[in-house]
Amino acid sequence: MPRDRDPLVVGRVVGDVLDPFTRSVSLRVTYTTREVNNGCELKPSQVVSQPRVDIGGDDLRTFYTLVMVDPDAPSPSNPNLKEYLHWLVTDIPATTGASFGQEIVCYESPRPTVGIHRFVLVLFRQLGRQTVYAPGWRQNFNTKDFAELYNLGSPVAAVYFNCQRESGSGGRRR
Amino acid sequence: MAMTMALATATGTVESGSRWSMASLRSALPSPSTVAASSPSTHCGHRGLRLSLGLNQSGPKPQKYFGSFTGLSPLNPLLSLGLSESTSFEHNFTIIDNGGRVYAMRHGRRVPKLNRPPDQRKALLRGLTTQLLKHGRIKTTRARASAMRKYVDKMITLAKEGSLHKRRQALGFIYEKQIVHALFAEVPDRYGERNGGYTRIIRTLPRRGDNAPMAYIELV
Repeated sequence: MPRDRDPLVVGRVVGDVLDPFTRSVSLRVTYTTREVNNGCELKPSQVVSQPRVDIGGDDLRTFYTLVMVDPDAPSPSNPNLKEYLHWLVTDIPATTGASFGQEIVCYESPRPTVGIHRFVLVLFRQLGRQTVYAPGWRQNFNTKDFAELYNLGSPVAAVYFNCQRESGSGGRRR
Repeated sequence: MAMTMALATATGTVESGSRWSMASLRSALPSPSTVAASSPSTHCGHRGLRLSLGLNQSGPKPQKYFGSFTGLSPLNPLLSLGLSESTSFEHNFTIIDNGGRVYAMRHGRRVPKLNRPPDQRKALLRGLTTQLLKHGRIKTTRARASAMRKYVDKMITLAKEGSLHKRRQALGFIYEKQIVHALFAEVPDRYGERNGGYTRIIRTLPRRGDNAPMAYIELV
């Protein structure tokens, strides 16, 4: 049995995408009445439009950055384009949602072709309002380098879910 | 007595040498009845079987053939337990001739059967390892995931060796040629330092249709 029961560690999100961190802010992601829990399985048809993101915290003056990446692009056995950036929103005030922030990279709905992909939503705390520049392309995005570049520090919250193509097996009876 | 006489005539004909006749030959060769009479004595001693068969040397009887074949076939265990003195009543497993043991319970049996006959089981595991090596992460039941670990590790170990013989062994197991070639190309840099444990199993929610416990298995 694994010594660390944290789903992020068990699902190797902490190993591949992030460094170990302690979550300090609550993060709730909902895809039209279906809430995302760590490791749950969603279909591409359910995640086609951007979700409702609710951020906890207390002070409306602190701003947060939300990043959504796919560390298993194009295939988990061969992650060449690791990680693929799906969504980037900055300047989100605390206790509000992602629609209140600035969408730097617009939401791209996940369409995995090969295998089962993990999709990770990471939340960083910003030091102030800062201009974040969109990367030139979505693939080969590195979350750790991005956080270091804009002095975001370690993440404050993260959640991930699994997604495979619409006709993938193992999930068709749900 | 008849046996000794037959042997005496046999030696007599051999010493004379030149003249062969069917009568002398037939008398020289041991008759089937004497063979049957001589062999059960050794076999009965071997099996500890004290069946008091009236072994008459005159004429073949079915009992003699039964006696001669006792040593070859394994006896009915109930019969042997009741009649023989060598196995005692404290033994709770039957004894098979080659030294194997058969328990009444499943003690010590580690091969997962997966509710399938052996040929279908092998095909299922071959298919699952092929798909895992192709996709990198698959979702299946927990029993199948933990059963296929051994085969996936075996395939990766074959790829680590990299010789032609190992490649052909891998081609005999994995269903798709391209996957074997891709595996042999990328395993040395990907798993070069790792010793074993090339897979990871993450348990997940049960399947809705039959509440089967599911798991993701992925290459590390």
